[in-house]
Amino acid sequence: MKEQVKQALDQSTTRFLTALTRLLPGLVALVVALLISVVLAWIVAIAMRRLLVSLKFDQRLVQWGFPSPAEGSLIKSPSVLLSQFAAALVIMTGLLIGVSAFDAELTSLLVRSVFSYVPNILGAVLVLLVGNIIARFLARSILIGSVNLNFQYGRLLSVGVKWLVIVLAVAMALEHLRIASGIVELAFGILFGGIVLALALAVAFNSKELVSKSLERDATKTTSETLEDPLRHL
Amino acid sequence: MEGDFIPEQALEKIEQVDAADLVVGVLADLDQETVAAVHEALRTLQGDLRIVVLSSDGNSVRSQTDSASSATGPRLSVVSWPSIAPDASGAPMQSISAAYQSIFAAGEKLGARAGCIIASNLEGATPQWVRQLMQPVLEGEFDLVAPHYARRKFEGLLNSSILCPLIRSLYGKRIQNPLGPDLGFSRALFGARGSDRNANRIHPLASLAPVAICDNLRVCQVHVGPRLLPPTDWTNISSLLVQVLGPVFLAMERNAACWQKTRGSVPVPGFGEPLAASPETATVDVDRLLNSFQLGIRDLQEIWGLVLPPATLLELRKLSRATKEQFQMPDELWARIVYDFALAHRLRTINREHLLRSMTPLYLGWAASYAKEVEAAQGAGVERRLERLSTAYEVSKPYLLSRWRWPDRFNP
Repeated sequence: MKEQVKQALDQSTTRFLTALTRLLPGLVALVVALLISVVLAWIVAIAMRRLLVSLKFDQRLVQWGFPSPAEGSLIKSPSVLLSQFAAALVIMTGLLIGVSAFDAELTSLLVRSVFSYVPNILGAVLVLLVGNIIARFLARSILIGSVNLNFQYGRLLSVGVKWLVIVLAVAMALEHLRIASGIVELAFGILFGGIVLALALAVAFNSKELVSKSLERDATKTTSETLEDPLRHL
Repeated sequence: MEGDFIPEQALEKIEQVDAADLVVGVLADLDQETVAAVHEALRTLQGDLRIVVLSSDGNSVRSQTDSASSATGPRLSVVSWPSIAPDASGAPMQSISAAYQSIFAAGEKLGARAGCIIASNLEGATPQWVRQLMQPVLEGEFDLVAPHYARRKFEGLLNSSILCPLIRSLYGKRIQNPLGPDLGFSRALFGARGSDRNANRIHPLASLAPVAICDNLRVCQVHVGPRLLPPTDWTNISSLLVQVLGPVFLAMERNAACWQKTRGSVPVPGFGEPLAASPETATVDVDRLLNSFQLGIRDLQEIWGLVLPPATLLELRKLSRATKEQFQMPDELWARIVYDFALAHRLRTINREHLLRSMTPLYLGWAASYAKEVEAAQGAGVERRLERLSTAYEVSKPYLLSRWRWPDRFNP
């Protein structure tokens, strides 16, 4: 009996040690891959931050219509944010390489599917970024233009157009990520329609005011007002 | 190089002329009578001059001038020039930029020693003022002859409020119309422009006076009559600001080394008798100007906050709460606003077109304040008011220098 217990223990120890020996290189590879990726991420982050600073990326973003850090944006510096994102991407890649070192079929599948999904993520990020730039640029153009044309609802119009473009960009990004595309399409349709309706109402109210003002002016026009405006700017 | 700017259909004709002493570009849409007066004025110039007139109306006046040209005195050749009519209500600066470039290029190609551009319709154009625009250059005394128009108090507000005082405070010369558009210029001046490879990137009108002053060329102004100006297009003021101020701020950036050394200002020599414009009788709709300003304060503060320091924004907010009777924009505040916008243009704080368009309500606010102040004033009173504004620009110049040199320094 005692001999059988000892044998069973020996066998289980051997099995455990064998399994551990089989797993250990994978674990070491994971740790090494992680360590290397952390060092690489650190280098990439520094290089990227320096490059973006030399390209005056933060100032350029403000020119493109993004709020500057001075405007109370949550992001302290877009250059820092982007470099941190790149570093996280490198660490993530190192982790996936490390995990795949276990050589298990499941992890290989996981790695393959994650890597095949990366282009979709990058595409979605690009769509969001470009959409954001266009939205803010258009919003600022509309705001300034409508103020210069004396439209009272310029701010509403500019915010409406900004969200219209952002919603469109988000829907396109989600479509790109293949996340619940049916629901996204439906939700986008409803949201887009809602914004267009809101804008139409805003414009209609604005026009109503303009028309009433114009009629009022015509009705109460005095002789002095019919005189030509003497202002000449150039 | 100069051939690039000359319109293709005119290049052949210019080559036929071969050489000239004086090139006169007529960009204004003048009637036959005025054209005849201009030609008459050219014939009265002294010396055996070869004069080339570049005119969009060239074909109709050719026979008249050719037959009138005598064997002695100036010889006139009229070259038909493609019509690039300056549309003052639409895009005046851009539409005449190419015309100016082409006339400078023609002058260089013909080896002319002087040139003159007549770009505006003037009331009662006489041979005297046309001759006066060229005489100082032909006699070799001056390189740039700027016009001194007889102005009514509400005319040329953009020039009175920004261009004239800004150029004066920056470059130290008191020129009433630094951007012309009617000008006389010497070969040395368009030579100086031609030697500067980047000068052609800036509108010729905006860069002429700064280039002349910074290159130590001699500048004067002549008194000419009032200009005929088209009515204000209220939907287009912001475009006007973009077209006019953009090149001026660009020239300011290019000549920073020059104007940073300049302190104070001196008057430039003047020629001719000052002419009086008929008094202004119409009244300005101040309410409309104030409404634009108030709307700007309400909606554009977010954008102005990127350009203007907090103290200026605070003053603007206070101003927006003033009643129509109390409303008065201090000259120092206006000068600092213009300087801050010039700096933001240089730093590209926001898109340059957005920046200049967003300045419109502020400009209209200044116009409202000015219109109220000079409502009852005429002649000398208006000149005194504008002199105060120019002095405010000069007094505030250290502010510009400080912000230009250290834009990141804290500015309360």
